[in-house]
Amino acid sequence: MFGITDPAIWVGYLLALVFTLACLVYGLLNWNNGVEEQRDGS
Amino acid sequence: MAVDTGIFVGMTLVYLVLIIGLGYLGYRRTKESDDYMVAGRKIHPVVLALSYGATFISTSAIVGFGGVAAQLGMGMIWLTVLNIGLGIFIAFVFFGKRTRRIGSKLRAVTFPDLMGKCYGSPFMQYAAGLVIVLGMPLYTAAILIGGAQFITSTLQIPYTTALIAFAAIVALYVVLGGLIAVMYTDALQGGIMLVGMTILLALTYVQLGGVVEAHTALAAMSDLVPEALAAGGLTGWASMPAFGSSIWLTLVTTLVLGVGIGVLAQPQLVVRFMTVKDSRALNRAVLVGGPFILMMTGVAFTVGALTNVYFYQNQGVIALAAATDGNVDTIIPNFINTSMPDLFVVVFMLALLAAAMSTLSSLFHTMGTSLGFDVIRRTGTERATMRPIRIATVAMIVVSVVLAFVMPGSIIARATAMFMGLCASAFLPAYAHAMYSSRPSLKAAKMSLVTGAVAWFAWTAFVHVKESAALGLSNLLFGVPAVLSAPWQDVDPLVIALPLSTTALLVGWALDRHEVALEGPVEAA
Repeated sequence: MFGITDPAIWVGYLLALVFTLACLVYGLLNWNNGVEEQRDGS
Repeated sequence: MAVDTGIFVGMTLVYLVLIIGLGYLGYRRTKESDDYMVAGRKIHPVVLALSYGATFISTSAIVGFGGVAAQLGMGMIWLTVLNIGLGIFIAFVFFGKRTRRIGSKLRAVTFPDLMGKCYGSPFMQYAAGLVIVLGMPLYTAAILIGGAQFITSTLQIPYTTALIAFAAIVALYVVLGGLIAVMYTDALQGGIMLVGMTILLALTYVQLGGVVEAHTALAAMSDLVPEALAAGGLTGWASMPAFGSSIWLTLVTTLVLGVGIGVLAQPQLVVRFMTVKDSRALNRAVLVGGPFILMMTGVAFTVGALTNVYFYQNQGVIALAAATDGNVDTIIPNFINTSMPDLFVVVFMLALLAAAMSTLSSLFHTMGTSLGFDVIRRTGTERATMRPIRIATVAMIVVSVVLAFVMPGSIIARATAMFMGLCASAFLPAYAHAMYSSRPSLKAAKMSLVTGAVAWFAWTAFVHVKESAALGLSNLLFGVPAVLSAPWQDVDPLVIALPLSTTALLVGWALDRHEVALEGPVEAA
């Protein structure tokens, strides 16, 4: 993949990108979640 | 470095004016102890994400670990996987939210204070504070030395002057402006680092003729691996080392697992979760933090490995042979100097300076608050007062500067991984237990903390040869640099100490539950 033949390396790159994507998606999906804790939590 | 010093001095001055300005802003906004300790619990999510990332990534993560990637290849990308997966996603989503909520409820202002209040135990606060006060100066001294060496080589000023000036500028805004100043300056520094690393990645691929071309050329260099590295298990720079070999063990246990897991229980990072007002800010910070770390370590490790292609195509040698005096730390700077346009060299130098300053400021602040609040004044429920903490911060800065002048170089090179390993081994199980149990067991936490710290120290001092040989304790007592032979002496202390401290926690917890069951129901502490 992209010139890298060893799966142990390209799977690493793939996972790094997947986790980055997961951070982006999580942040977007929960953009407005968690604000209510301010009132009852603290 | 061979760049126009005038341009660099000019840009550095502009940068320093901005830093001092942000430091002053932090000072003006610091009205009470909560502002100084936890930035008033109202930091913006983007500032949090950049500050967390910039603290996480020091100059050594870029230059040092980038150099290691030049030596050991692209397998280092697995550290980036852990940096993002554990260091950002798991850290923010599974630890950060609970840390913020519990920290805010208990009015905790430092990591040791959080531990002490969760367990209702001054011992936990004191012990955690002591680990920081004793262990962190080593790590801080290493960052100071790295920064001073870098300033000396770029600005051509004496090393002593560079070290003292570097420490003094950072000390000024940390001592006066507290965590608000630290996080504001971190955010600017994180931004500069992001610009620098993005340009570095793009220019490297342009220089090597494209993404696929660069990777293909690197993969084709496997027959150029030096004999000594091949004997250690290195198979090339675009492939993993041979499974179970000495280099594989170092790469996987020390670099990937040691540093990757170690980041989860870093006191200077945990305290940042308590600087925002709600979980929404943490959710938003995840969005910025993941891509930021990818652009830091992901780029450093990729470019590090690819320097082999550049040096081979242009100088006929592999990166290791192009290093000054065989020092892998010089590979990335040498690559930047010889391959990049002058203006970018200046931008990259500023990015490195920013990386060093952002990590240093956080360490200064964490050490100062630990000494001034957790170790010296550890009554737990009282509010912190700023004056003794400022004095303690100055004291810890002085200790770190003195250490930077006297510590042997062989230990300094290991300091980052050592501190991360110690923190994870001693704190991680007890920290996770405190966050996830409604009735955390103090006995379990004490057993885990002590077992983790002792096991980590024993393996570091007597088995893991990279540290035990440098420390000299094993040689003094047993006449050998390490008491166990390969492969054990290549296994990182964290890989041994963390499972032991986790086991100790589980055993202690089971014993505690057993006693509670025998005594009948008891109100939670």
